[in-house]
Amino acid sequence: MATPKTKLKDSNIIVKAEKVNKYFGSLHVLKNIDLEVRKNEVVVIIGPSGSGKSTFLRCINHLEKINSGHIYVNGHMIGYHDRNGRLAEDSERNIARQRAEIGMVFQRFNLFPHLTAIENIIEAPTRVRKIPEEQARADGERLLARVGLVDKRDQYPNQLSGGQQQRVAIARALAMKPNLMLFDEPTSALDPEMIGEVLDVMKELAHEMTMIVVSHEMGFARAAANRIVFVDEGQIIEQAPPDEFFAKPRSDRTRLFLSQILH
Amino acid sequence: MYHFDWSVFWQYIWPPTAFQDPLIRNGLIVTVVVSVIAQALGVVLGLFAALGKMSKLAPLRWLAEVYIWYFRGTPLIVQMSLLFFGFGVTHIYDFPDLIVGAITITGAIQAGTLALGINEGAYMAEIVRAGIESIDPGQMEAAKSLGMTYGLAMQRIVLPQAAKVIIPPLGNEFNNMMKTTSLMVVISAGELFFGFEQVNARIFKPFELFIAASLYYLVLTTIWSFIQARIESGLGERKGLERGPSMMERLFSGSTGKGAR
Repeated sequence: MATPKTKLKDSNIIVKAEKVNKYFGSLHVLKNIDLEVRKNEVVVIIGPSGSGKSTFLRCINHLEKINSGHIYVNGHMIGYHDRNGRLAEDSERNIARQRAEIGMVFQRFNLFPHLTAIENIIEAPTRVRKIPEEQARADGERLLARVGLVDKRDQYPNQLSGGQQQRVAIARALAMKPNLMLFDEPTSALDPEMIGEVLDVMKELAHEMTMIVVSHEMGFARAAANRIVFVDEGQIIEQAPPDEFFAKPRSDRTRLFLSQILH
Repeated sequence: MYHFDWSVFWQYIWPPTAFQDPLIRNGLIVTVVVSVIAQALGVVLGLFAALGKMSKLAPLRWLAEVYIWYFRGTPLIVQMSLLFFGFGVTHIYDFPDLIVGAITITGAIQAGTLALGINEGAYMAEIVRAGIESIDPGQMEAAKSLGMTYGLAMQRIVLPQAAKVIIPPLGNEFNNMMKTTSLMVVISAGELFFGFEQVNARIFKPFELFIAASLYYLVLTTIWSFIQARIESGLGERKGLERGPSMMERLFSGSTGKGAR
């Protein structure tokens, strides 16, 4: 069998997953996932809980290792490289370098509680990218302004509401100037009245970024997604633009799922 | 009936007179300085042992396990004797006296400090590990997702948070450390208890002298518990941590103190 190439030529493909399989012990959580995401596309992944959608997202930046298949991000295979014709796990430094180009927003925000909002934002730019602190701060304040929180700059995360924390977390991810943003159920841990403010920020972003969003927010999916991917039991069941997806889903499982969540 | 010699007692608890005896004065200095250095050594070794124990690399894990196993599984007094007398007689290391300016650091003090520090590292390892493991794994993931390596994420994100968890038990360890330095008496390092022993050998007043000795330790540990309370409340105020036990609870709770190791 020919060794898979570790680079892709087409620079318009931001993410390409090929026959990705993932097991947790004997549990087969991702089954031959194939997915391509092109530049500036916004893909929303939906599916029942436990379907593997969050796990897949975490494989894209190698927070989870895959058992077989390949994932390319920004043209390079993530987590592995070619060593004399065989695939070898990448060095930590290389993985870190690739992750720096991929922003991730977590369900539980995962802000650094010992740092203020602005410190959360400038931490990686100053430590990883070695940007001078003054410049990082100026950039960071612009990002805070963009998510509407410039006045919260010096607050610690525990002084912010959930919605505000998630907006800071988005700004923190953007501060690395990634060319791909991953959102792992960004509104699931929020009180209902705070969901809107986070989705508004994400909708703004959707105009200018490549995004993969795991979410149950159908309103957001309808408004911002270019494509919806429905995942069930570790498999992609179907994918289509939102109009088509909601109007005439092709599979019975999709119809069943939609009827359960849209009541 | 035993005649309590008040004049010896007062002479040896009242610092201005007690400190005229260099055995007591230097002994007190040695006890405090050795405690600080050995504790610092323990923190550093404990940090490495904890990281080793959590390492992905099996040899590092084994090394850390064996270290912790041996130093927690054998008495400190044996470790100290082995290091000083054992290494001396085999010439693995003779512990020559170290002269720094006007001060002479005896081989026994060096060996004692080293033994205390290495032993403490094995205990600190568990404290540091528990501190690191108390931090939400999402913190490491968030740091990694921003392009930070494990080392950088540890240093900048996880350890500063773990420190808040580590510092209260670290304070208790230091309290123990000041008492445990007295074990250095077996290698005749000139710390506080050795000083009192020497005085006792000269005038044989063990009851008066060892009460006086115990009061010196009590003053040291009490001063430390005030400093500790100050440090912990400072931590709490800054980082929104829960308040630790009050001064009175701390002094009289009787829950610490592991005794001789």
